[in-house]
Amino acid sequence: MRLEKCWFCSSTVYPGHGIQFVRNDAKIFRFCRSKCHKNFKMKRNPRKVKWTKAYRCLHGKDMTQDSTFEFERKRNRPERYDRNVTEQTLKAISLITKIRHERQKKHITERQKQGKTKQRERDAKELEQDIQMLPKKVTLSTQKTKVVVKVSQQQTEENLMEE
Amino acid sequence: MGGKCPHRKVKKRRLSHKTARRGKFLVKADDAVYDELVKLADAGKDADATQLPVDEDLPGMGQFYCLHCDRYFASESVKEEHYRSKRHKKRIKQMSGPAPHTQLDAELAAGMGMPDNGLKLMSM
Repeated sequence: MRLEKCWFCSSTVYPGHGIQFVRNDAKIFRFCRSKCHKNFKMKRNPRKVKWTKAYRCLHGKDMTQDSTFEFERKRNRPERYDRNVTEQTLKAISLITKIRHERQKKHITERQKQGKTKQRERDAKELEQDIQMLPKKVTLSTQKTKVVVKVSQQQTEENLMEE
Repeated sequence: MGGKCPHRKVKKRRLSHKTARRGKFLVKADDAVYDELVKLADAGKDADATQLPVDEDLPGMGQFYCLHCDRYFASESVKEEHYRSKRHKKRIKQMSGPAPHTQLDAELAAGMGMPDNGLKLMSM
């Protein structure tokens, strides 16, 4: 049986699941859960609802273009059966799926790097600005360590790194 | 018939007047209106220039029609009045925006490629 995609959230609708609405101009709307069906009846736009795949693709949060997408298409022209091709295809399916998942994971990791970099910069700036607010005991202890450090420069570098 | 039904307690279901029922079943959906506008634009026509079939069941014999709002009017003056209304301007703004969501958009977002329609068959 054919696996369809939900009109609203783009997840897969397996046989025996979901509901289907056929409008009187014969356009079909498939829904995977009542959650999506209710959102559709409330006339919500999938591109504006943050948990849908359409929103995530539109805002660059998920991978949108990859060569592995070409393997999953709606084929409107039947292929002639060939046993060898069928066997090779069945073997290749698991490999293609694995590659696709890895690429999607990599895309998300790459996207989140900027956030971590900015967080680090923000932390450094905060430390620089707010070091004066530390209590005096800590300041005194740092002075003491400075006194000890004057013996040799290498120790100074090590202590700075430790801090 | 009109106004609110006093027996029903759920607010949404108390409405029985014309506007509520029309919006629920009779109005053409956004993507259908959008498709017709695109078709007219490709043909190089304006929405007002199309020749409408004569229909005695419709107001004004079906000659005064607003495509954006999918409504028929009784005369030219009423239609012009409608074109100046806020609702119509809102619809025009909506229709000039991005294309409505379709099943194809959902499939592309889910990670499927464009549909494969195969080779073009020879014309007989």
